[in-house]
Amino acid sequence: MKNSAFAGFLRWLDGDPEILLGAEEMTEQPDVPRDSQKQRIHHLEHVLKDHPLPVPRAFSRRNVRIFYAVVSVVCCLVIISCLLLAVSDLPRFGVEHAEVEEVTEKYVLDGLEETGAVNIVSGIILDYRAFDTLGESFVLFCALNCVLILLRTDSREEEHDISYYSLSGDDVLRKSIMFTLPLVLVFGVYVLLNGHLSPGGGFSGGAVMGGGLILLSTGYGGEVTGRFITERRFKTVCFIALSFYCLSKSYVFFTGANGLETGISLGTPGAILSSGLILPLNIAVGMVVTCTMYGIYRMFKKGSF
Amino acid sequence: MEAFKIFLLVMLVACAVSVSLTKRLLTSVIIYMCYSLIMSIVWILLRSPDLAITEAAVGAGVSGILMLLTLKKIRRTATDDEAKEGSANEE
Amino acid sequence: MEWIRFAVSAVLICLGLFAFAIGTVGVNFFDFVLNRMHASGICDTLGTLLMILGLVVANGANFFSLKLLLVLLLLWISSPVSTHLLSMVEKHTSNSLGRYIRRKEDRDGSV
Repeated sequence: MKNSAFAGFLRWLDGDPEILLGAEEMTEQPDVPRDSQKQRIHHLEHVLKDHPLPVPRAFSRRNVRIFYAVVSVVCCLVIISCLLLAVSDLPRFGVEHAEVEEVTEKYVLDGLEETGAVNIVSGIILDYRAFDTLGESFVLFCALNCVLILLRTDSREEEHDISYYSLSGDDVLRKSIMFTLPLVLVFGVYVLLNGHLSPGGGFSGGAVMGGGLILLSTGYGGEVTGRFITERRFKTVCFIALSFYCLSKSYVFFTGANGLETGISLGTPGAILSSGLILPLNIAVGMVVTCTMYGIYRMFKKGSF
Repeated sequence: MEAFKIFLLVMLVACAVSVSLTKRLLTSVIIYMCYSLIMSIVWILLRSPDLAITEAAVGAGVSGILMLLTLKKIRRTATDDEAKEGSANEE
Repeated sequence: MEWIRFAVSAVLICLGLFAFAIGTVGVNFFDFVLNRMHASGICDTLGTLLMILGLVVANGANFFSLKLLLVLLLLWISSPVSTHLLSMVEKHTSNSLGRYIRRKEDRDGSV
């Protein structure tokens, strides 16, 4: 009766914050030194070896293994048959005008005129279905935040490095990075800025640029990249890019949906400064992707920026 | 060209099966990276270079690096047998 | 003229394939890591050169060939560097290195 929910509620009314624990208070365990803990585990292993825990016959190791094998094979077969069914529904590759949907036809025929993007794929993902892409960017940002929360090492915690050979001191790697890094970054920027004209776009360009930053921090150590990429700057860039994307796209959807003028000219198709908002949106997505790639790498590698 | 396509698809299936069949985690990560590389070529053959660039950069590059870093964190780059062998050699 | 170009490119590509084949055989033939790396690294460098030159000859002088040459440049930088790094890591971490390599002082002493 003392630990029932009602009694807990009464105690909560009286001002006790720990209603769930009730009378059983958590006592602080004395610190067990690491060595004795190891010894204890060793001892336990010995005991278990001599007197194994009684396991029911149905859960013996062999039976469990057979069960796992059968279940995994059945799961694979089910998934494979589902996927094959779905594929058999698709039109054959390269067949013209096979049961094309209305929406697809509209994208292909009117895409260039309405979005101004020569690359129809980028016109679709950043204009017609821009909120999809916004969701993807937010997923990336959430992943970065989760990694930041989970893998952050305490600054007091002693980081014991287990690497036998540090790549960041290698002269050959440094020289080769000096040659290749500008090429990689320029290619990334090209893919990013040319997203509405040629294959590519924010995601691909951002991934390439993030790879370049990872290369730099591999060769020159995290201090060099940490000089211009701090955690604070990181979050600021991500925040500004995401909120710019969200606000501008909301504006366009709100005004454009009712046939009103958005006030953003599409320009001539084929020019770099054309296709309205697609170029700035590409840049925003690219920023977020670059930051995420590099940030997740840094967190995995070291636990801090 | 048709033979090349079929070869790529067969290699995809082979990679996918062998990822789950290999005992060492490091090997399966490397096979996974090979899978992404083959997949990016398949994307090019399916005429979607957008996806091919992303697959090559993310699938074969960044995610592989992240998995390798994770393996390094949990110290599974060498199997236990090898570690024992190494200590035996030192003696 | 077309025939000569085709023949040259075919010969170059076949030589490149031959180099790659030697590299693959070497990787499977040797049982010491640095030997394997030696075989694969050298054969990769030569093979990419021959293959891409063959493709450039087949394609003629235009923008696409320039891109191919850029790919060659990147491969030539990245492939030897990765081989170097792998062998350095092997040198620093391997336990069984002494079985295959004798240090210079030991060798001089024995002679």
